[in-house]
Amino acid sequence: MNLELFDIQGIVGRGYGKHPSAAYLLLEVEEPALARRWLAEQVERVHTCEQAPDPDAPCFNIAFTHAGLEALGLDAEALNTFPSELKEGMTEPERSRALGDEGGAADPESSPRHWDWGGTAAGQRAVHLMLMVFAPSEADLDTTIAELRLLLRPGGLSLVRRLHTALLADREGGVREHFGFRDAISQPGIAGLHRATSGQPLVPAGEFILGYKNAYDLHTECPRVHHSRDPGRLLPPAEFGAHDLGRNGTYLVVRQLGQRVRAFWQFLDAVSRDPNGAANPERRVALAARMVGRWPSGAPLVESPTEDDPGRATANGFGFHHSDPQGLRCPLGAHIRRSNPRDSLDPAPGTAASLAVNATHRLLRRGRTYGPPLSMSFDPDEILQAEEGEERGIHFICINANITRQFEFVQRSWINNSQFNGLLDETDPLLGTRRLPSGRPTDTFSIPGCPVRQRISGLPNFVVVRGGAYFFLPSISALRYLASLTS
Amino acid sequence: MLPQSTLTIVAPIQTAEAALEALRGVLAEIGRDPAANPLLPFGDLTGLHYGRFVILDGAVDPGSGRTVASSLAFNCCVDGPADQFLDHLMQKAGSGLWAVFQHCSGAPGPGDQGELLTWLRRHRIPTQTFYVNSLGRTVPQILKEAQLRERIDGFLDRKEGSTTAATSPSTVRRAIQHFVRGQNGLAWALRPEPPLPWAWRLRDGLHRIGGLAVGVLLGLLALPFVPLFLVLLRRSEINAPHPRQDPHFRLSQFDRRHLAPDEDFFIQNQFSVLGFIKPGLFRYATIRVILSVADFVVHHFFRDGDLGTIPFLNLHGVDTIHFANWIVVDQGKRVLFLSNYDFNLEDYMNDFINKVAWGLNLIFGHGVNYPRTDWMVFGGARDEQVYKAVLRKFQIRTQVWFCAYPDISAITIQKNARLRAGLFAELDPAAERDWLALL
Repeated sequence: MNLELFDIQGIVGRGYGKHPSAAYLLLEVEEPALARRWLAEQVERVHTCEQAPDPDAPCFNIAFTHAGLEALGLDAEALNTFPSELKEGMTEPERSRALGDEGGAADPESSPRHWDWGGTAAGQRAVHLMLMVFAPSEADLDTTIAELRLLLRPGGLSLVRRLHTALLADREGGVREHFGFRDAISQPGIAGLHRATSGQPLVPAGEFILGYKNAYDLHTECPRVHHSRDPGRLLPPAEFGAHDLGRNGTYLVVRQLGQRVRAFWQFLDAVSRDPNGAANPERRVALAARMVGRWPSGAPLVESPTEDDPGRATANGFGFHHSDPQGLRCPLGAHIRRSNPRDSLDPAPGTAASLAVNATHRLLRRGRTYGPPLSMSFDPDEILQAEEGEERGIHFICINANITRQFEFVQRSWINNSQFNGLLDETDPLLGTRRLPSGRPTDTFSIPGCPVRQRISGLPNFVVVRGGAYFFLPSISALRYLASLTS
Repeated sequence: MLPQSTLTIVAPIQTAEAALEALRGVLAEIGRDPAANPLLPFGDLTGLHYGRFVILDGAVDPGSGRTVASSLAFNCCVDGPADQFLDHLMQKAGSGLWAVFQHCSGAPGPGDQGELLTWLRRHRIPTQTFYVNSLGRTVPQILKEAQLRERIDGFLDRKEGSTTAATSPSTVRRAIQHFVRGQNGLAWALRPEPPLPWAWRLRDGLHRIGGLAVGVLLGLLALPFVPLFLVLLRRSEINAPHPRQDPHFRLSQFDRRHLAPDEDFFIQNQFSVLGFIKPGLFRYATIRVILSVADFVVHHFFRDGDLGTIPFLNLHGVDTIHFANWIVVDQGKRVLFLSNYDFNLEDYMNDFINKVAWGLNLIFGHGVNYPRTDWMVFGGARDEQVYKAVLRKFQIRTQVWFCAYPDISAITIQKNARLRAGLFAELDPAAERDWLALL
């Protein structure tokens, strides 16, 4: 089935790599009528999947929280058709506990009570919508944002927070995250939109865009409005005579993850020292690579188990099961083997059946790093000498059509599962919580080996959640519909 | 090893609203600390794998339009005979049992434990299908083997650095054996777990052969009726209302918030679901036969860590379920399903859908409002979101849940058992390497 690219916001199709400067403006609706008029004007500027991005002009995308849709004036019946995770939000207490943000298992610092935005502290402002701005340069970005800010007050909106971003380009032409590893190598390709690359199968469009068949060959349920609420027929028809608010839209998960970069390398430095106490940089980076599953250049351990191989920096055409069933090359608990186990898991590891289940838990990542790098060269020795100083990390943004089955599943059942894939007492070495809710520590990391595994314990939290929310990323027609609402 | 038994007691709750409220109060008190509360300290009971109280709320039977009354279900799984356990439970927590069951109709007055015991026995009902992850693996075995692993892990962690890639697997294994021999509390680990009693195994073997023979015989006798059965089945499948037809029944319409506070505190979770059987004798008779057959099949063929793997049909099973009970309640009107599973519900549901949808359809497909099945095994649970919504809709709160080893997954239990079994066994070099990979 052909995708209606003209109706799908551009962020679904691309990460705007040629627009290195970006900011996410978190906005609150103060005057719904004015905000709708503002939206009506902005819709025409929203970049779609159909257009090639103009390298010299800024690109915009707009997403709404459930509270934002309500504030804009969407009726209660329609609001009620959104999935419960969007309705309840990322900080609903039981969900926060399950995600590892709050409660017995969580790092108290990650609690939504302490978040910089989207949290639960008294006086924290509501986040209603997020305007994503991508620009060719910092100067362009600043000009664009200055112009946008002038329109906010007359548009009935106020700025809650500007999330800054800073891409960490490396010398090899890739982007890194703050720990110093090349990032954004493995992305699911969308059938009908992307070309298959490096041997990885394309994922059905319905996993990332509402209105198309998903990996179960079904349509993920869409939010909808009563036909009487859409007399102008701005929305396509849906089941039971309703109008489809979801088609060509999707959901965004946004989490601001602060990274404790120096603590990460300090820990690795301490546990990789020689018996005589001397630092062992080679073992240190090898251990870090075991935690990540790739070397700093990006080369996967499955293909290059003993040393970094920049020639394989973007290699992605691998599975885990056949070449490395026991994790002797890439540990079973490595970050990339948890967050995308490929063919590792039941049913029937190493077969199409395993890959088919894996395809139901993919995330399309669209986030960007923020804050200055601790070392421009990402050299651990330099990082260890540097002052932590400013806050840095990643605005983790992922696109998925079913937040529970995709993002939340990956977070709970893979990243934070202390008995994932037969492991015991360990979670994701980069992102995981370090205790079970019952108090049992999960702060180890095991490296399978011959004759027997090695195990590192006492892993601290390297990542702190600083903010987050679930958003609906409407189609262009749904944006027009929202702009047309009357109160 | 000792075969496990399941024990279920279901009693009607007194009709006065106050009784239900008072019962909820007592259960909440127990539920705050199931292991060590003063009323019914589940942690003090020997051989108890898990125990739970579930309130089965009354509802209108869609078949007859009559109301089915509310009742209270107590269910547990124990090592050895259930009768013996009930005596033990009465001795340890007789007053706690009375505190709970006094709110049920016809419960005897306080003080007389003998009378209460008789009353409880009278309200005991059978489990039609009982699934156990690993037949015969007792609570002490599970706990001891987890402790053994922890001690060996600790030993290896301390030894780290003295083991290099050049150290041979047998050297490492010998060092582990030496360590275990030197530990006071681990003397039991020097010997393998004793097998199931021979008399039991003999009876069980005969049961298997006899059951298969009877099954084949009845199957042959039923053969002429298969076309009629298929016609009735298909008619029922086509005519029964199903949730896809209902504009108001969608994933977004269910509320999970009353269930979520009882979930995701441990590696294991509890799951209780209650639903009506589709009206009519056809569905009732079919599900009774299926549950009996399923009980026989899971007992004899899925008793060692896996549920549903059938290689010659290329079916992959599930290895994350500890226990499951299918219990027909309310004079055959409703089925109560109770299970203990690993990780979170989304995981559990995905496993069902991805791996054993056919099995779920066979059993749950006879329930009211189940997603439409085709020929009993196709369709149904494969309708992913609708199936998940149905499951959440019929899931009920588990007021009290105790588990003796809530932070150990079924896979870990299996691995621990293999670790212990191989510790002092004769192993060839390949098996020795595999054994070390368990750590």
